Amino acid sequence: MSARYDAIVIGAGHNGLVAAATLARAGRKVLVVEARDHLGGMLGDKDFRVAPLPFALRPDIVKALKLDTAVIHGAPPPPVLAFGADGPPLKVRGGAVEGAETALAQAYAALHARLGRQAGALGAMLLAPPPDLGRLRPGDLGGLARMALKLRLLGKAELRDLLRIALSNVWDLLEDEIGDGPLAGLMAMDATLGGAMGPRSPGTVLTLLYRMASRSPHGHGLRVMPKGGPDALVRSIADCVKAAGGEIRTNARVEEILVENDRAAGVQLADGEQIASPLVLSNASPKVTLLELLGVSHLDGEFVRRCRSMAARGMVARLDFDAPAPPALRGGGTLASGQRLVAAPDMRAIETAFNAAKYGSLPERPVIEATYDAATARLSVSAQFAPYDLKVGWSEEAKSRLSASVLAMLDEVLPGFGATTGAARVMSPVDIEAGYGAAGGHWHHGEFRIDQLLMLRPFDGAARYRMPVAGLYLCGAGAHPGGDICGAPGFNAARAALGAKGE
Amino acid sequence: MNAPATSAARPVPVPQVLSGLEPGPFHDRLAALNHQQAWMNWMGYASPSVLDTVEFEYFAIRNQSTLFDISPMCKYAIAGPDAEAVVNRLVTRDIRKLKPGRVAYCIWCDEDGQVVDDGTVFRYGPNEFRLCCQEPQLSWLEDIAWGYEVTIRDVSREIAGLALQGPTSCALLRDLGLDGIESLKPFGIGSFDIAGVALSVSRTGFTGDLGYELWMAPEGALAVWDALMAAGRLRGLRVIGYEALDMARIEAGFLLPKIDFLSAQTVLRADRAVTPYELGLDWLVALDKPHFNGRRALLELSRKPPRRKLVAIEIERDKPAHNALVYHRKSREVGMVTSALWSPTCKRNIAYAWLDAPYGQTANDHLWVEIYLQKEIRWQRRMARCHPVEKPFFTHPRRTATPPAEY
Repeated sequence: MSARYDAIVIGAGHNGLVAAATLARAGRKVLVVEARDHLGGMLGDKDFRVAPLPFALRPDIVKALKLDTAVIHGAPPPPVLAFGADGPPLKVRGGAVEGAETALAQAYAALHARLGRQAGALGAMLLAPPPDLGRLRPGDLGGLARMALKLRLLGKAELRDLLRIALSNVWDLLEDEIGDGPLAGLMAMDATLGGAMGPRSPGTVLTLLYRMASRSPHGHGLRVMPKGGPDALVRSIADCVKAAGGEIRTNARVEEILVENDRAAGVQLADGEQIASPLVLSNASPKVTLLELLGVSHLDGEFVRRCRSMAARGMVARLDFDAPAPPALRGGGTLASGQRLVAAPDMRAIETAFNAAKYGSLPERPVIEATYDAATARLSVSAQFAPYDLKVGWSEEAKSRLSASVLAMLDEVLPGFGATTGAARVMSPVDIEAGYGAAGGHWHHGEFRIDQLLMLRPFDGAARYRMPVAGLYLCGAGAHPGGDICGAPGFNAARAALGAKGE
Repeated sequence: MNAPATSAARPVPVPQVLSGLEPGPFHDRLAALNHQQAWMNWMGYASPSVLDTVEFEYFAIRNQSTLFDISPMCKYAIAGPDAEAVVNRLVTRDIRKLKPGRVAYCIWCDEDGQVVDDGTVFRYGPNEFRLCCQEPQLSWLEDIAWGYEVTIRDVSREIAGLALQGPTSCALLRDLGLDGIESLKPFGIGSFDIAGVALSVSRTGFTGDLGYELWMAPEGALAVWDALMAAGRLRGLRVIGYEALDMARIEAGFLLPKIDFLSAQTVLRADRAVTPYELGLDWLVALDKPHFNGRRALLELSRKPPRRKLVAIEIERDKPAHNALVYHRKSREVGMVTSALWSPTCKRNIAYAWLDAPYGQTANDHLWVEIYLQKEIRWQRRMARCHPVEKPFFTHPRRTATPPAEY
């Protein structure tokens, strides 16, 4: 097999495309192979987007790839609507909240700013490979040193505060600072969405900080709709790949990562075609990449054990409802296209919904995040907690039960919505797993937990993107810093692969 | 106080201390012969450390034949279409070269190239193996075998084992009608029966001498024992305990886990784990075969000299160097002794010692051991010169001669 490509990227999810663009712009001949017929992975399916409301692609990456920030970061997002048990929703723009009592609004603004500063300091680590504690090299310390410096600059009191709260649970923090209610519900939703943890689970402050570290010109911690929707984001990164000479093939499912002399040698597609390349970057989840595509015969037993026991239990179901007209809001007005709605009346509601899911059942009252898309006349809902390992199995009946309970929640915040819509299309974590190479149907390819972050992400011995088989890299959400739509794992993995060339 | 005077002479039974150990398949016979009642704990079994006197037992190994109960060994049956691939992934040797009906001594390593344990791999068929080793390995084996089509069963309690070792062992088995036993080559396996009990016999052992290991179902264990003991009367057969075997294994160059090295799975201090290169077992590592556990780490390790090495040493004068420290030029501490013995057969003072690099590798002169001797509660310190030598200390042509001579 003679190599026609310098690198092959498995999966055209946004991280795969960012990796491909980074490699292509560095002069590498890159091929992206995508199993499905569309680009953008969970972001890109026009018929059913797993991630309809992306977080912002990191500005550093937008700059490095010379993407158009006006497209990527669009316009300032409309206020998030946080519904309580009754009354009109609170309107939340970053740290500013409209509709709450002054004292609460002030406490919230202070907390939002404080967490933002702390998240900013932690964020210095996001665009650097996690340090290798076994053998620290001066070059690796950049991210760590930047983070240490930024943490110092927070000042003594705030640093002490960060250390106090970082590993604790978001319930205690929010209860202390703003009290339980729709605002706490909104923040706790951000802390838990996509993970197998409730507000009372330890480590949820850290996950909240992770989300608060998301940055865009409009502020931090925001969901930012690209101009032209998620497709515009996918298209601009794909165009960047192509402009730099990269190729992208859809409907090309990789069946196996080829290995020769203990080095990655290319990929084999489902139709038997073999494509040679000395570098293979996989955007599939670590479990899928290592256990299925590569195969355990190339890996040590302990490494396989740690990979197998990675926590990656998806907890979010996606439901799409037809919405012929913009849904009417409780308290007046309508939901704007691209606007985010959160129906988690308080933290207790989230914790209660989590309790059922912990033991493999569906909650009676799921907590939801929804957004309306005028172009497709659709209301997209992310409902939690919907466990991957549902005890009764993800039958049609289970889906319609979930759909009915979600609709009941929607009817409370969008009065009369149920009468105008038909049956929902439901995508369970099992469907997400089957469709997107994400083990456990987990959004982030692996739980955000302190034992699965930084040099322990995706698991001990597999951090730093480079896998034991030389030339194979992980570039998906399973790798540091992981999850959401930020592009950092793909960016970091590509740079690690570029740095390792000629090893 | 009115008891009749005659009853005072009658011995009163003294209550015994229960050891809490499990009786093995041969326990009834061992208990009757164990005059010392010296039992040790071997994987939960009561195993004799010495039955009579260690000297008699040791010399029986080298001059007659001996019986030692090895039933407590951990034994795992590995079978299925991927059995060869799994065993090859486990051990550092190229097991594809092991033919059915043969046995191979192997080690296996963790992902850092550090030794987890050693043992023997028995190949009974293309897809059928048995692993015998000292430490429980089931969870390790299951990790190694994950994703393969293979079944792994702990058969430790399903198989009784006897080591029949010594110059007269072959003749003894022939006396019992084991036709063809004399043509069994070292590390070969054959099927026979004794007293109607089906046996698997391998020409293997831990003494470095002519000898066999007999494997059978526990139900037939006592019948086989009785037949062996009856036939052994004219062949000088003697039942032995661990202490005598330990002397023989030091002479024969065999290492013992927990004594000479620790398993990487059990160490608390990371630097206590050892590599095959440090143990001098380079010959067991086939870096040219497909990926196996620890291969990448071993490849790295093979490129540089080990930071320390377990070497065989010979010590001047006659006092065994138990637990001795090793010095360079009598002043700089460079290592320690793990096993030591005055070898009655070799008439040499021998030991294994860990020596920090470069000692034992490129610097072999001016090494001394510090021996402590107790003479009637008074300790004496003696420095004795030592020299690294090649293993084994004891070797005899009868170990490999096929057919073995009639002794």
